[in-house]
Amino acid sequence: MLEFKLPDVGEGMHEGEIIQWLIKEGDAVTQDQPIVEVQTDKVNAELTAPAAGVVKKIFFSEGDIVEVGTTIFTIQVENGMPAPETDMGEEEIQAAQSGDVKVNAGHITSKPHLEAVRVLATPFVRQMAREMKIDIEQVKGSGPAGRITESDLKQFKENHSITRENVYNNDNKILQDKATMKNADRAKRLENEWEERILLKGIRKKIAEHMVKSVSTIPHVTHVDELEMDRLKEFKNQLKAYSDVKDIKLTFLPFFVKAIVIALKEFKTLNASIDEKTNEIILKNYYHIGIATNTKEGLIVPVIKHADQKTIFQLADEIRKLATQAREGKLSIDQITGSTFTISNVGPIGGLHATPIINYPEAAILALHKMEHRMVVRDLEGVIRLMMNMSLSFDHRLIDGVTAVHFTNRIKELLENPIRLVVEMR
Amino acid sequence: MVVGEVAVETDIIIMGGGPGGYAAAIRLGQLGKSVVLVERDRLGGVCLNRGCIPSKALIHAANQYQRLNDLGKMGIRLSQERTTMDLGIWQDWKEGITSQLNQGIAHLCKENGVTVVKGQATFLSDDRIGVETDGDFETYKFEQAIIATGSRPYIPSFIKVDGEYILDSTASLLLQEVPSSLSIIGGGYIGIELGMAFAKLGTKVTIIEMASRILPQVAENLVKEVTRNAKKLGMNIKTSSKVEKASVVDGHVHLQISSKKQGSEVVVSEKTLVTIGRIPNTEEIGLNRAGVTVGEKGYIAVDMECRTNVPHIFAIGDITPGPALAHRASKQGIVAAEVIGGLPSAIDSPYVPYVIFSEPQIAGVGLSREEAEQQGYSVKTGKFPFSANGRALAMDETEGFAEVIVDAESHILLGMHMVCADASNLIGEGVLALELAARVEDIALSVHPHPTLAEGWMEAAEAVLGHAIHIVNK
Ligand SMILES: Cc1cc2nc3c(=O)[nH]c(=O)nc-3n(C[C@H](O)[C@H](O)[C@H](O)COP(=O)(O)OP(=O)(O)OC[C@H]3O[C@@H](n4cnc5c(N)ncnc54)[C@H](O)[C@@H]3O)c2cc1C
Repeated sequence: MLEFKLPDVGEGMHEGEIIQWLIKEGDAVTQDQPIVEVQTDKVNAELTAPAAGVVKKIFFSEGDIVEVGTTIFTIQVENGMPAPETDMGEEEIQAAQSGDVKVNAGHITSKPHLEAVRVLATPFVRQMAREMKIDIEQVKGSGPAGRITESDLKQFKENHSITRENVYNNDNKILQDKATMKNADRAKRLENEWEERILLKGIRKKIAEHMVKSVSTIPHVTHVDELEMDRLKEFKNQLKAYSDVKDIKLTFLPFFVKAIVIALKEFKTLNASIDEKTNEIILKNYYHIGIATNTKEGLIVPVIKHADQKTIFQLADEIRKLATQAREGKLSIDQITGSTFTISNVGPIGGLHATPIINYPEAAILALHKMEHRMVVRDLEGVIRLMMNMSLSFDHRLIDGVTAVHFTNRIKELLENPIRLVVEMR
Repeated sequence: MVVGEVAVETDIIIMGGGPGGYAAAIRLGQLGKSVVLVERDRLGGVCLNRGCIPSKALIHAANQYQRLNDLGKMGIRLSQERTTMDLGIWQDWKEGITSQLNQGIAHLCKENGVTVVKGQATFLSDDRIGVETDGDFETYKFEQAIIATGSRPYIPSFIKVDGEYILDSTASLLLQEVPSSLSIIGGGYIGIELGMAFAKLGTKVTIIEMASRILPQVAENLVKEVTRNAKKLGMNIKTSSKVEKASVVDGHVHLQISSKKQGSEVVVSEKTLVTIGRIPNTEEIGLNRAGVTVGEKGYIAVDMECRTNVPHIFAIGDITPGPALAHRASKQGIVAAEVIGGLPSAIDSPYVPYVIFSEPQIAGVGLSREEAEQQGYSVKTGKFPFSANGRALAMDETEGFAEVIVDAESHILLGMHMVCADASNLIGEGVLALELAARVEDIALSVHPHPTLAEGWMEAAEAVLGHAIHIVNK
């Protein structure tokens, strides 16, 4: 059996993404036949079979990120003997010459032997571990003074294979409610002092599904800028008396919604989505703004419909209501679907910048960060201003970097000069 | 094996028939592979023909010879005739041993289907080697290869080994007469083993060592006893001394030596033996044509499966970094063979025991006290002197001690070392204990046969626990 380990196809890459399997388990392959497409941050590489044989097992699914040196598939070699692998690359030879032995793909099974470390296990148990393809250094010994016993290996193998199966099976199986997991018997065997297992279900499961879909479909790029909030704050304070009368708690968020809507009207690709089936871009002339809200269950995104047609006070009121309902788990499906652009307000918790994940199938998401007094330079003098960062993640298929910057510049312009916001509001 | 027009095809080629190469060949034969083992000289390599076995045959003879002087006190009266040593006859006896072993290996190779080819092997590419035998040239095509070409004595450029006055270890084991005086450059284990043997045979031996003590690789407390004995044997030991020049003048070797303390001096002796290390035989075997890379000092780096940077070419034994010892070579040979045979084999243990056939012998496995402390263990040690062991007294071999080093918390054994008569045979228990991850109690609680030297391990283990029987526990 030949284990094929993910080689370093880029220069010093640590991990790669499995883009596409060109074979499936049970397929017979010839030497050098393309097997899998892997992408790193630098290159897109096609890896070939090191030897002829039958593909026995595939350990990862398309979309999985895999560390270099991890076995990604095994081949039952024709004559039962591992055939020679492809030759070493230039860098590897150099590495080997510099004394830093880096062995080739397919047999990164071991460290240079001088580094053989002591494992508290008898030679027979160590041999058994190799036969069972267990890295014995990962096994915790239950014997006297931590000695690893045969039964420790068996135990480890059981836990390990279940974990593998659970995590690495096809198409986002991580998210699927595995019937096997429900099996009480099996769940008991999973009990392991080193880990705790909680079934992925409910909202957390939906979030996970959504995130995976979003990230695996949309090429995310994030752009960060900062805003000076002093004037907006002053403006908001001036409105306080007015809002008190109306019994509305005015926050900064409605102003943001307004500014964003104005900018969205000018930069249409940010209020859009891609229809992958028909290969069309959908530009939306309605502005449904999702407000990512933290709840006990996890992240929920209630939606303010037709935000462009509402006043600041109306927005404030609606945001408050939606947030309460979200926290109480009383939102209807209708209230959490259909957004065209999302705001994630993480400011109250803290943080400088982030890579918010786009709410699929939207084109962008804006995260608002902590507002704080910072030293900035104005007219070549250091002054203290109320500052806030915002991070915009956008779909690079649809939106160019320049457009994204123009978009945040516009938001900046409106929020830093609230008068302009008022003037431009419809 | 198919003999074609161009190349003889085989599954595996092994270059070098030393303890690494022949062990690999036999194991591969057992696994049903077709194997060609190429050896330019004699099967068994350095170990069998010029190293371990002949040197031990000499040491044994020297021990017997010296022993005669001490038999009087046991009541054994020898005839008045002077005891003499005829090295020429010894050579025949030694030759008998090595050729018996040679034939044994040849027989085992044959029985396991290994084809032994005599000749000098070189890589032609990464799947072909050429073998030159007495002007004939034959090529072989292989699927996998194992390089096991071993090592040879390192000789510094200012000295020329002539085999007559200036010797390397090989030449010293071919002497037909006991030299009256011998200076040995290098106080490592080969120098000390051979030096002590010749000293026992009556040679006036001078050891010149650059480090501040002899056997610098071995823990200091183990070496003391040996140093004392060396002096008792009349050996002259010059440490922190460097040989600057060697010349042969009127049938004697003149070594010019400099040391910080004594300044410059000249040591004159009948012969000089150079044993300052060994270098790997990796230069003239066409490694570049096979794409196999070597490190700085000519060693071929390998992984735990003994693979080189070229995945279908393996390297084992003295040509790989690590202690140059025959048992390490054999283990690597077996691992490489099994990996080639598809078995899940690997070098997975840091424990390579060492044995020095000095007077008394030193042997050990695992960490020394200092090493264990450096690695952050809190260490307990137990020591048992053989002067308190009945068998040692009855053998008139009371020198030395057994020492066990354990992790104070878990009581797991970290190292076992001893200096005493027959330490070489006794260390087997230590190797097994460490490989089995034994606790010191496991040794203390095992019944050891009495009266034996092996009881020393039990007592040392009990000493760690504070209840050795035959010594006062502190
Ligand atoms: C004096 C002395 C005493 C020693 N005592 C001990 C001891 O007590 N215990 C211990 O463990 N070790 C001892 N050693 C070390 C031990 O001999 C070596 O570690 C051991 O022999 C290494 O085995 P090997 O298989 O790597 O190589 P070697 O034994 O060196 O064998 C290599 C073989 O390859 C052959 N060869 C080389 N190049 C080619 C080629 N191009 N084509 C064909 N054949 C080739 C050589 O002729 C040789 O036979 C001693 C060494 C010496 C010199």
